[in-house]
Amino acid sequence: MARFLTDLDASLHFHQGLIVLTDRRLLHVEPAQQADLSFRSWRLADIDDLVIDELGAVAELHLLQGGTQSHLWRVTSGRVREADGFLAKFKELQRAHRHEVLHGHPLGSTTPKKVEDDDPFASDEVATTSPPGSPLWRLMKFCSQWHKLMGLGFVLAMLSTWSGLIAPWLTGDLVDNVLIPLQSATERVHVKHVYQFALYLAGAAVLTWMLKWATTYVVSRLAERCASHMRRSTFEHLQKLSLTYFNKKRTGDLISRIGGDTDHISLFISVNFIDFLVDVLTIIFTAVIMFTVNPLLAFAALGPLPIVGWLVQWVRGVLRGGFAAASRAWSAMNSVLSDTIPGVRVVKAFAQEQREIERFRQQDKHIFDTNDRVNRTWSFFEPTINFLSDVGLLVVWAVGAWCVAHDKAKVGDLTMFVLYVMKFYGRLDSMSRFMASSQRAAASAHRIFEILDVKPDMPITDGTLTVGRLRGEIEFKDVKFRHGSRQIIKGISLKIEPGEMIGLVGPSGAGKTTLVNLACRFFDVSEGAILVDGINLRELNVMDYRRNLGLVLQEPYLFYGTIAENIAYGKPDATRAEIIAAARAARAHDFIMKQPDAYDSLVGERGGQLSGGERQRISIARALLINPALLILDEATSSVDTETEREIQAALDHLVKGRTTIAIAHRLGTLRRANRLVVVEDGKITETGTHDDLLAHSGTYARLHQAMIEVTHATATPP
Amino acid sequence: MSLDLQTNASGQLVLITADGMRHENVRPARIFPLTDADHWIALQDATGRELACIEDPSALHDSQRAALQTALTKRAFVPVIQSIELITRAADGYIWHVITDRGPTTFHVETDEAVQTLGSGRLVIIGDHNTRYLIPNAAALDPESKRRMERYY
Repeated sequence: MARFLTDLDASLHFHQGLIVLTDRRLLHVEPAQQADLSFRSWRLADIDDLVIDELGAVAELHLLQGGTQSHLWRVTSGRVREADGFLAKFKELQRAHRHEVLHGHPLGSTTPKKVEDDDPFASDEVATTSPPGSPLWRLMKFCSQWHKLMGLGFVLAMLSTWSGLIAPWLTGDLVDNVLIPLQSATERVHVKHVYQFALYLAGAAVLTWMLKWATTYVVSRLAERCASHMRRSTFEHLQKLSLTYFNKKRTGDLISRIGGDTDHISLFISVNFIDFLVDVLTIIFTAVIMFTVNPLLAFAALGPLPIVGWLVQWVRGVLRGGFAAASRAWSAMNSVLSDTIPGVRVVKAFAQEQREIERFRQQDKHIFDTNDRVNRTWSFFEPTINFLSDVGLLVVWAVGAWCVAHDKAKVGDLTMFVLYVMKFYGRLDSMSRFMASSQRAAASAHRIFEILDVKPDMPITDGTLTVGRLRGEIEFKDVKFRHGSRQIIKGISLKIEPGEMIGLVGPSGAGKTTLVNLACRFFDVSEGAILVDGINLRELNVMDYRRNLGLVLQEPYLFYGTIAENIAYGKPDATRAEIIAAARAARAHDFIMKQPDAYDSLVGERGGQLSGGERQRISIARALLINPALLILDEATSSVDTETEREIQAALDHLVKGRTTIAIAHRLGTLRRANRLVVVEDGKITETGTHDDLLAHSGTYARLHQAMIEVTHATATPP
Repeated sequence: MSLDLQTNASGQLVLITADGMRHENVRPARIFPLTDADHWIALQDATGRELACIEDPSALHDSQRAALQTALTKRAFVPVIQSIELITRAADGYIWHVITDRGPTTFHVETDEAVQTLGSGRLVIIGDHNTRYLIPNAAALDPESKRRMERYY
C-alpha cells in the first residue's frame, strides 16, 4: 500500500530501514549484522495510532499500541514530508479497516491507491538529477545545432593541416633531387629547379595561411555562437527557477558562472578545440607519411610516444581537479564582491573595511593557491614534452645517420623526417596545452550544466487554466507549508472577500511573509489549498495569475533604467499618460519632476539618489499602473520615517481602493484602514477581527498595539 | 484648450488657467526631457508646484506655442550631438570634442556611467556641470563619429 524509508537507528547513526504498510499489517525491515534482515510486523488492528514528532533535525515516529508506545523510529528531518504522506495513507487504511471490522464490508471510497513505482528504496524527493555524460560531451551536443558551421570548421582545419604538411615533403624532394645532385655534380640539374621548388613552397605557405585564416574565423564564430547561446539559455533558465533556488544561491556565484565560465568555454572552442583538431590530424598525417616513407625511421621517431601518452593521462587527472577548484575559487571571490559592494554602507558604518579587505584577501589567496597548484603540474608538463621531443629528434638523427651510412635512406628522407618530427612533437606540445584548457572548459561546462539541470520545482506550465482579470476573492483552505525541516504555516484558513483589506499582524517569524509568498505562488503549499475566485491556485496559469497581482515590498527594488521605465515595469507598453497618472496617484510626480531629467532620470541598481520613501512611491506607482485585482503590501511603510509614511500612506490609499489587499504591517496607520486584522502567531491564526474588536478582546493584538503606540509616541515626541 | 499662455513685459511666461487665475513667472518643465521633449510639458510656479500640464503643444495657438517655446529654450539646454570630432583620454575620464546643434563644443565626461542608453539608440551623455548632451540615434551618426565613439563606449 505504502512504504517509508527510515534512515536512522535508535542511536541516531545512519542506518536504513523500511516500513511497509500492507492492507493488514505494518512491517518493518532493516539490515542487521552480516547481511541479515531483521524483520518485525504489527497487525493493523492492534495499532492505536502512528504519530510523528519533530525535534529539529530529527523526527520520531511513534507507534502506539494499547495506550503505550511500542516502537519508535527515528528519521532525519528531510524525510518528514514523506512520513506525513505515509501517515496519511496509514490513517486512511486504518479507517477503512475499522469500517470493515464494524460493518463487515470494505469502505468503498477508500480503495487503496496503487503504489506508483517498484523500487522500494526510491525516494520521492525531486532531486537535481543531472543527466549522465561528461561535460565536454554534453557541450558537443549543446553546440550540435550549428553542425554546418562545425563541419565547415572541420573541413577547413583538415585542409589547412594537410597544406601545412606539403612543405616538408617538398623539402625532402628538394634535397634529394636538386640540392645533393647539385652539390655532387654527378647529374646535370639546372638551378632553375631550385626556384621552381621555392615557388611551390611559397604557394604552400600562402595556401596554409589562407586556410588557417578561414578556419580560425569560422571556429571563433562558432565559439561565440555557442557561448552566447549558453549564456542566454542559462539566464532564461534562471528566470524560470523559483525563489527558493535564489535564496540558496550566492549572487556572485551565479554571475561568475554565466559570465566567466561561458567565457572559458568560448575560448576553449575557438582557440583550443581547433588547435586540437589540427594537432590530431597533423599527428595522424605525419605518422602515416613517415611510415610510408621509411618505417624504421618512423619507429625511431615515435619511440617516446608511449611515455607522452602516459604523461598526458596523469596530468589530465591532476588538472581536472585543479581547474574545478579554480572556478570555485573565482566564484567565491565574486561572491565576496557582490556581497561587499552593495553592502558598502554597512561596511563603512561598522568600520569593517579591514575585515572585508581581509575576507577578499583570503579568497584571492585561495585563487592564487589553486592556480599555483595547477601551474606546478603544468610547468613540469610542458618542458617535459619538449624534452621528449628533443629526445625523439636525437633518435631520428642517430638512426637516420646510420640509415644514410648503410644506404637504407636518402639524405632528403632524413631532412624530411627531421622536419616532420619537429612538427609532430610541436603538435604534441600544443596538445598538452589542450589538456589544460579542455579540463578547464569541462569544469566550466559542468558548472553551467549544473544550473541547467536544476528542474524548476514549480513549473510555470503547471496550471493550464488561463484567466483574465480576477475579482480578487482569495481563500486559504487549511494551508500548511513546510520549508526543509520547519513547518512554517501550520494550518491557516482564511477567506478574503473581493475588495477587502486584510492586515496581517504578528511577531516576526510568525509566517506572515511566507503566507504572502504562498499567495503570490512563489512557493506551493505543502497541504491544503489556496483558492482564487474559487479556483485552486495550482490550476491557474501562473503568469496570468501574477498579472493580477501587485506587490509592494518593504525594500523597493528599482532596476537600472529611467524612472518612467521603472514605473512601467509591469506593463512595458504603458502610455506616457498612464505613467504620469500612476505617478501622480502614488504622490511621486512632484519629486520626479525635481529630478534632473524628470521621468527620464536614470536610477541605479539600488535607486541611486532617491530616498527610501521616494523609491517606495515609485514602486507603488509601478503596482498602480498594472491595476492589480490583488494587492500585497509587505511592510511597505515600515522602513521610512513618519513624515514619509504619511506620504506613502496617501499613495497607498489610492492603491488599495477597490482591490483585495493583504498588508503585512506594523504601522498603525496601515492597520486602522484594514477591514479586518488577522493576527498570525507561530504559523497559525490566533485572532481575527476589526481593530476595535481586537482591542476589546485584549489579546495579542492589544498587546502589540500598546507597544506600537509607545514606539510611535517615543518617536513623535523627541525628548 | 481653455488655458492661455502669454509673455509679459519682462519676458516671463504667464499662464491663465481654466478658472481664470493668472500666474506670472511660470516655468515650463519637460516631463520626458530626453525621450519625448516635444510633448508633455509641465507648467510650474516659482516654487515648483505644478499648475498645469500640456500634453501636446502643437494643439496650442501659434502665439501660445511661441511663448512656451521661448520659455522652454531659455530653461532647457540639451545640445544634440551631430558629430563627434575627437575623444581623448584625460586624467580622469575622457574629453569629447563634438559638434552640436548649438555649435562646436568640448566637454569632459568622467565615468562610463555618464553615457546612458535610453532605448532605441538614444544616448545621453552627462558632461561636466551636469549638462546633458543628446545623441538621438547612435546608429544614425556618421561612420567616423561612430567609430570614434565605439572605441570608448
